[in-house]
Amino acid sequence: MNSLANIVQKNMPETLKNIPQEIESRLLKLAALFLGLYSLILTLSPAVRARSWDVDYRWAHWAGFAIWTTLVWLTHIRLRADAPDRDPYLFPLAALFSGWGLLSIWRLTIVFGLRQSLWLAVSMTVLLFGLRWRELLPTLRRYKYVALTSGLLLTTLTLIFGSNPLGVGPRLWLGFGGFYLQPSEPLKLLLVIYLAAYLADRVPERKQFIPFIFPTLFLAGTALLLLAVQRDLGTASIFIMLYASVLFVATERRRVLLISTAILLIVGFLGYYFIPTIHLRLSIWFSPWDDPSGSGYQIIQSLMAIANGGLIGRGPGLGSPGFVPVTHSDFIFSSLAEETGLAGTLGLLTLIGVFLARGITVAFHAPNRFRRLLAAGLTAYIGIQSLLIIGGNLRMLPLTGVTLPFISYGGSSLLTSFLALLILLRISNENEEAAPLPRPQAYHFLSGLLALGLITSALVNGWWAIVRSSDLLTRSDNPRRALSDLYVPRGTLLDRNNTPINQTSGESGTLIREYLYPDLASVVGYTHSIYGQAGLEAALDDYLRGIAGNPTTLVWWNHLLYGQPPEGLDLRLSLDIHLQEKADLALGKHQGALVLVNAESGEILAMASHPTFDANMLDEIGGSLLTNENSPLLNRATQGTYPLSAELNALLEESSTPEIRLLVGQAEAGFASPLEVALLAAALSNDGVAPAPRLALAVNTHQSGWVVLPALGEARTLFSPAESRQLSTTFSNTETSYWQISVAGTGEEDALWLLAGTPKNWSGTPLALALILEEGNAELAEEIAKSLLGSAQ
Amino acid sequence: MSAPVLLFLRAAMTLSLYAFMVWAFLLLWRNLKTQSELLSIRKTPPLTLTFTDPASNPITRHFRHPEITLGRDPHCEVYLENETVSAQHARLSYHHGQWWLEDLGSTNGTTLNSEEVDTPTIVISGDEVHCGKVPLKVRFALDDLSPNTREI
Repeated sequence: MNSLANIVQKNMPETLKNIPQEIESRLLKLAALFLGLYSLILTLSPAVRARSWDVDYRWAHWAGFAIWTTLVWLTHIRLRADAPDRDPYLFPLAALFSGWGLLSIWRLTIVFGLRQSLWLAVSMTVLLFGLRWRELLPTLRRYKYVALTSGLLLTTLTLIFGSNPLGVGPRLWLGFGGFYLQPSEPLKLLLVIYLAAYLADRVPERKQFIPFIFPTLFLAGTALLLLAVQRDLGTASIFIMLYASVLFVATERRRVLLISTAILLIVGFLGYYFIPTIHLRLSIWFSPWDDPSGSGYQIIQSLMAIANGGLIGRGPGLGSPGFVPVTHSDFIFSSLAEETGLAGTLGLLTLIGVFLARGITVAFHAPNRFRRLLAAGLTAYIGIQSLLIIGGNLRMLPLTGVTLPFISYGGSSLLTSFLALLILLRISNENEEAAPLPRPQAYHFLSGLLALGLITSALVNGWWAIVRSSDLLTRSDNPRRALSDLYVPRGTLLDRNNTPINQTSGESGTLIREYLYPDLASVVGYTHSIYGQAGLEAALDDYLRGIAGNPTTLVWWNHLLYGQPPEGLDLRLSLDIHLQEKADLALGKHQGALVLVNAESGEILAMASHPTFDANMLDEIGGSLLTNENSPLLNRATQGTYPLSAELNALLEESSTPEIRLLVGQAEAGFASPLEVALLAAALSNDGVAPAPRLALAVNTHQSGWVVLPALGEARTLFSPAESRQLSTTFSNTETSYWQISVAGTGEEDALWLLAGTPKNWSGTPLALALILEEGNAELAEEIAKSLLGSAQ
Repeated sequence: MSAPVLLFLRAAMTLSLYAFMVWAFLLLWRNLKTQSELLSIRKTPPLTLTFTDPASNPITRHFRHPEITLGRDPHCEVYLENETVSAQHARLSYHHGQWWLEDLGSTNGTTLNSEEVDTPTIVISGDEVHCGKVPLKVRFALDDLSPNTREI
């Protein structure tokens, strides 16, 4: 009898006598509890989205849960008989990972969930039969060349018969009647088996290192070449790293690691300049923000999903991981991060760490060199592949299209992960004494590298989920904002007499934004799921969305509960719809812009820019607006800069850019925007003082009613009171009650400026007007001035 | 009302994940303790080697670690300065409750009690080992034998 086992039994605490069955059973129960709660939340999640109990609940994923429970329970029972001395942590960890992945896939796409469940059944069956086959490890050792060569042959076949289940993309799969196999997945496993068997049979001699490793270099090089031809860069880099890891632990030479790191760096460096695929991958990694809607889209969406998860996550079914392309496979980590948050992913990273630690422990306890190298190699495989894709999702490493072992969607990947688990369980089941390990440093070094990778991933994950979270979520290309606009009403934009201009109507889930006064489109702007935001809708978004002006606790609570902002706040603008109608009517089809301002307070009463567009029709006309040569999207009143005449230029001594809640064109000397000229006119009617312009007057908050929004800029003194009175007297005439001056702009364009304003002794609201016409029609200009100022009181 | 209920469930779900983790760590900790207790009762029985140096002085050395390399390389634990000895000649190692002798591919071979050593062979007290032409005497005190060996 093995007396060591007796000693272990005697020294064990009472509760752990029947290890490992007991440990495994408790861990599996906790995993089942976690997955059960996940499923329950997923079922109830539609109620939270609709904020009502009267909804269609989600039930489909319970099939996945049932399949998982049955398979895991059966395997657990069989393990007792087939592998009584196995490591008791590996199977529960693998079960938790695959269950978590399975439910996430059901949550994302039901059809994929069903397929993944079938693959899980296949994988568990292979695990069970593999455990009963006692000759598994000796067979692998004996047929190492056959195994690796057949793996290579299958991979070669994809060059000829390769296909892609999606129809597009790299053709890395072999299809047989609806089922697809990716041979490069098991190839990684075969490489580890081959290397472990080869290196265990020979002890390296000092002077003949190259001849000694030559056969391995040849086979690994062939595999690498194949993968390079296939453009499967992720698997190729895993290959180099796996080869280096196994060779390193077998020979204990650090040079192996240095050389392979150098090779990876050189290939990356040369590839950046000469190979388009590598260049693209690396430049996306360096600067995804350069092209957020094109090549950088996927990684930026991944980071936004992680940011949206925050600390505790939105909850299963409550996030929007579907915005990230191929989220079920390559990007499953960001999908987990969005729905379970940093808390969930830190747990995941820790558990991956435990899995790797157990893998290395299995290697330490292995009874011979082959099994030790094999266990270490398989642990390195799980660790390296996990780190590579998690790092890719976190923008810590360049993105490579590999799967997250046990978790990602994909039959070949899941099966390969379970084969690795099978071999690890098989090795751990030997109760022979461990083989001597004279120099364990290489194993320590490898474990240290993997641990370092996991810790770095956790820190980077925290960086995106906590530190950079709000910056990412408030980006205008965050699709979650458009989504929450469908569920949460935005505030209404009102004119100074509380007439609605832009408002939201409809039912929660199908809310739409209505633009009641379409001619104002270039000023008040729009909020659209495809074309984003413009004008005041963009500038005042925080109030309209309810993020600003509401108590922070309310915003926080709504984000925690629903992942959405609270209801938006209404805003009152300085615009007067009656004056605005007159201005738009007067400008009609003529191109130009005008600004009518209260000369004393700086409140903008009317602002027109023609031609304009109807924001209600954005779905139909949005694309053509961008290319329209008359630039209807441009707000000419603030963004347009027009050449000044000599007289106007003399009046406007120093040019400045007025601060208002809209984009304002930066004028060079000799040019000015209508808004700036309107403030000049206001100075002439207001004792030489140009008021700070105001467009948003007040916001209607829940606690304190209407709260005034102050002007953004400062009033400026342009003339002395005497100067301004003298100038306005010079410009006045007997026909009108107000002063006015119209001058043709210099420059090639046939533009015409008109300035007008009420005189100093005016008893009503002091008004000032600036008008630019992109045609030299002085008569029309005077008519417009008359229609606006003639009736003003 | 649905959202607070779900918030509670979400917290419970995260807690269950951490319960899994904490339980795994607790078990690992206990396992570690058992292992260290196990290791503390298992030690390498000391081994004594007697041989002669080139000046024919007898040398006796005691070893307590589980691996001893013999050879003409000065880095070897047992440095044998003789032209019939290879740089890395042979290895004595303790595992599976026994001391084992193996030849490391030496030019002139290793013998144990005049028999060629071509596979790792168990060594017992009083054995005579020849590395090339250098004789070595192996001894270990009986009361220092491994507990495993005694029980079997």
